[in-house]
Amino acid sequence: MLTATILMPLLGAFALACTRLKEPTYRWLACSVGSVPLVLLVAVWIGFDTSTGASAFQYVVEYPWIPALGIGWRMGVDGIALTVATMSALLFVAAMAWPADTRGRAREYYAWFLFLEAVSLGVFLTLDLALFYVFFDLSLVGLFFLIGRWGHGDAERAAIKFFVYTFAGSLAILLAIIGLVLVTDPLTFDMRTLIADQPLAGMDLRATLVLAGFIIGFGIKTPFVPLHTWLPPAHVNAPGPASAVLAGVLLKMGTYGLIRIPYSMLGETFGRYAFALAVLAVISILWGALVSMAQRDLKRRIAYTSVNHMGYVLLGIAAAATIGGEQAARQMALTGATVEMVAHGLITGALFLICGALWQRTGDYNLEHYGGLSQIAPNLTRFTILASFASLGLPGLAGFVAELQIFVGAFSVYPWLAATALLGILITAALFLQMLQQLFFGALPTDRGDFRDLARVEIITLAILVLLIVIIGIYPNWLLTPINSATGLLTGGV
Amino acid sequence: MLWLVALFPLLAAVIVHASPMRNRATLGASGCGVLLVTLVLTVFAGLEGWVGRIAWSIPLQFEVALTTSSVVMALLVSVIALPVLAYAAVHERRRDLNRLVSLLLLFVGAMLLLVIAADLITLLIGWELVGACSWALIGHERQHASRAASARYAFVMTRLGDLGLFVAAMVAFSDRGTFAFAAIETLGAPQKTILVAGLLLSAASKSGQIPFAPWLFRAMDGPTSVSALLHSATMVAAGAYLLIRLEPTLAQVPWFGPAAICIGLGTALAGGLTAMLQPHAKKLLAASTSAHYGLMFVAVGAGYPAVALTHLVAHAFFKALLFLSAGVAGREADSFYLTKMGFGRVLPITASATAVGGFALAGIPPLGAAWTKEMVVTAAGHFSPWLAFVVMLAGALSAAYAMRFVYSAYGVAVNDTSATTRTTETIAISSLAAACLALSLYWLPGIQQTLGAWLATSFPTPPPWETIGSLLTVGFGLYTGLLIARKHPALGEDGPVSAYADWLGLPFAINRVVERPFSALTQHCATFDDAVIDGTVRRAGASGLFAARVAYRGLDRLADGLPEGVTRWLALSGEDSRRFQTGLSHHYLAFMAAGAVVLAIILFAGR
Repeated sequence: MLTATILMPLLGAFALACTRLKEPTYRWLACSVGSVPLVLLVAVWIGFDTSTGASAFQYVVEYPWIPALGIGWRMGVDGIALTVATMSALLFVAAMAWPADTRGRAREYYAWFLFLEAVSLGVFLTLDLALFYVFFDLSLVGLFFLIGRWGHGDAERAAIKFFVYTFAGSLAILLAIIGLVLVTDPLTFDMRTLIADQPLAGMDLRATLVLAGFIIGFGIKTPFVPLHTWLPPAHVNAPGPASAVLAGVLLKMGTYGLIRIPYSMLGETFGRYAFALAVLAVISILWGALVSMAQRDLKRRIAYTSVNHMGYVLLGIAAAATIGGEQAARQMALTGATVEMVAHGLITGALFLICGALWQRTGDYNLEHYGGLSQIAPNLTRFTILASFASLGLPGLAGFVAELQIFVGAFSVYPWLAATALLGILITAALFLQMLQQLFFGALPTDRGDFRDLARVEIITLAILVLLIVIIGIYPNWLLTPINSATGLLTGGV
Repeated sequence: MLWLVALFPLLAAVIVHASPMRNRATLGASGCGVLLVTLVLTVFAGLEGWVGRIAWSIPLQFEVALTTSSVVMALLVSVIALPVLAYAAVHERRRDLNRLVSLLLLFVGAMLLLVIAADLITLLIGWELVGACSWALIGHERQHASRAASARYAFVMTRLGDLGLFVAAMVAFSDRGTFAFAAIETLGAPQKTILVAGLLLSAASKSGQIPFAPWLFRAMDGPTSVSALLHSATMVAAGAYLLIRLEPTLAQVPWFGPAAICIGLGTALAGGLTAMLQPHAKKLLAASTSAHYGLMFVAVGAGYPAVALTHLVAHAFFKALLFLSAGVAGREADSFYLTKMGFGRVLPITASATAVGGFALAGIPPLGAAWTKEMVVTAAGHFSPWLAFVVMLAGALSAAYAMRFVYSAYGVAVNDTSATTRTTETIAISSLAAACLALSLYWLPGIQQTLGAWLATSFPTPPPWETIGSLLTVGFGLYTGLLIARKHPALGEDGPVSAYADWLGLPFAINRVVERPFSALTQHCATFDDAVIDGTVRRAGASGLFAARVAYRGLDRLADGLPEGVTRWLALSGEDSRRFQTGLSHHYLAFMAAGAVVLAIILFAGR
């Protein structure tokens, strides 16, 4: 099942690349192929066993590939991978359904999107460290072309910066993986074995170096301050749907990787540096919010809020990893971090799609050139207000469910840091309300009179995302149950 | 089951918004219908003792339950909202009326949620939803950017207070593992101190106390009906309600009483002074709201939550009434400045109703509001006789601005031109005035006893000198107010007084001490982020390129020697690397094939 989840869009990508069809056909073809993983993952979700004593990784498939190196095609999900992957699959479908300006190269555009979907899901679904690395790197390639070829402004430069910067992070991860795996005997890249064996336990220097590699690599990807400056240009110049996927899916690889690899496989070492990571998280939270507030460019502003939100995720992970913290609180922090990954994916995905809509209509991201759009674009207004309030953590919407748990959980472990991080939600409130004011309130500039409200396909896409945001905000039990089954195990509970 | 009380108006709000209703009459009728059903549900819930409990996960459990004070508050919310919504349907502009009505219902639902909450998270959810509704309502007229700015000011300022509630929830969970109100009684001493500080912070910001009071002025940018509801029964009332509801826990912390009294009394005096100097009708009432919630803070701080609750109820009726009549006068005068008003002769019914509300605000017996204010004086007197005197002073200020408002807005002075009012407006205003009159029953000893028994408390008995002193100060206040209204009707419109009329300069101070430095800070951060953090990356990239160029030109000789060196160096770490050499050629082949495929894809597609 999980294999098909990855292979379907991958084969779809190759198939699409070899055909010659009309442009709209590509879009619907890509959407239908792209939604296969979503359907499969929902089926997996329904069949996922969350009872106590159920095995952590389910739906496991394993084929030996290079037995001598211990590399195999290993797939499987726990509650965290399942929820993050399902959200990603949904976001990919939304991004492909979103009307895009493919500049007459629809075939390549949708083929690259399907390719990116396949490898991104691979990152979340694989249980083999070597495959993880391969998928992780290939996702860079996919996005590099989407930004470089269909972006606008200084797209090539932004794409190269994105690629080189994050590729440097990948190299750090590669070195760390090698450093981690080489001590196993017999050699294996099987994540389950590595988690069970904790191969570097007791090796101080080596474990620290390996941890540093992972932190730098995943830290660039997430990104945390001060490794975040590749993100804003990549977003600004990327087409809307690619931005949505970058923020919604690719950033999650950083935090997901942190949980899956160093948190799980180097538990003791990770715990020792948890406080430093929590400090880094709080810096990211505040710095992201402060810098975002000063941005006049709509997309840069939202890009920096991603730094802020991923800071919450990191805070949750760091609190959960702390040695000696109370289990219930640590579990709550880690659950919150995972919910934040899902919530941020949906919310920021929606916001970047909205940015794409604005760019397509005006070719302008400067907030000061906008105003009064609520008078002529009520649907756009409605969705943007909802998504913005979700992003600033309003109760009843998804972001609150995540942030509440992160704050409450982290407070038991690091009260001062958690209390300081609270300021983040105050600043994000100010910056999002300012953004809404700038876009929708006041007088309509004279040259914006012909602005079109959202088209039907855009409304449906956003409605699905926003509906999920609301449902998670009101009744998140179906999401929390699988996540808690994983975080319970990861924090040493039942 | 109890959830229904809050859920019903919330769902109805969504349905009203989605419906095609645009007509004033249908919108007003359906809105009032929803509120009536909510009222009936609340009555049932109170009689049957409904409770509710749901869970998101094992640690995240939510419960709702009713206490006597929450029943009173819940009833009050719907009762006040009814005339206000009916008024809104005829008074507010036609455009976006559908959105306004549904937002008002949402506002009521969110408020009810926080009223029935029996744990900190449910409270927080209602609390923040009320704040978000206030944002949408204050900025309701979207073509004015300044209203959106005011809405943001109000939301951010009150959210600062919400952080206190977050902290309270965090402390409760870290110590007891639950958020239930029942558990916070048993918190350890240091935790309880933090919890109480957090709750007091949220209550003060929501109730427009110093130093948060200026947001209430900005909130005046919203439609009048919004102000009427926001000041009487929702939003602002939430802060005082929170203190009343949790007083037993709060009072266990020794400094809570003095702190609440300090905040409350400071706001009562400063707010009273501000209101007296205000020439703008709505802002006068807004400053008065802060002042009266200040009195409730004093009562809770002195240990008499029931007194605060009765005053909250009395205040709700007369403040809603005064806002609604200010709305009528404001529309007819096309301005909210008192000097432009004066409709006593042309709108006699509204004028008499306003007089009832104004006298209640002034605290003139036999109106009920006079008794509740007397009780606040006595409660403060139990804490310290000096305090009673200061509260009397606040009462005098209240009488002064009440007089100024009534005399200028609905006196017989200047404005004798024609003015009209709509029937529904008159009905809404008159029914609120009737309620104010009915509250005169507070004075009857029998009623007091019944009320005291129901609220499980006994009201303090005022010593005679306090009653006499109170009456004297009220008289003095009325006289001052009359003097201002007659001799200096434009007091505060310009000149040095106008600076003080804006919350005694507090917004200016906040601008200089918080807003501007914060704005500068964000700019500096953005510059640093670009120049230093990203600059380092750019320089690293540039020097990498430079090094490559140098190596290419000058060091190619060295390059010849390099491979050998590398081989030797690699051999040292042979133990590890040898394990990659599996000796099986098909592995190498697989590796190479995979690499070739990836390369081919990249080259093919990237072309």
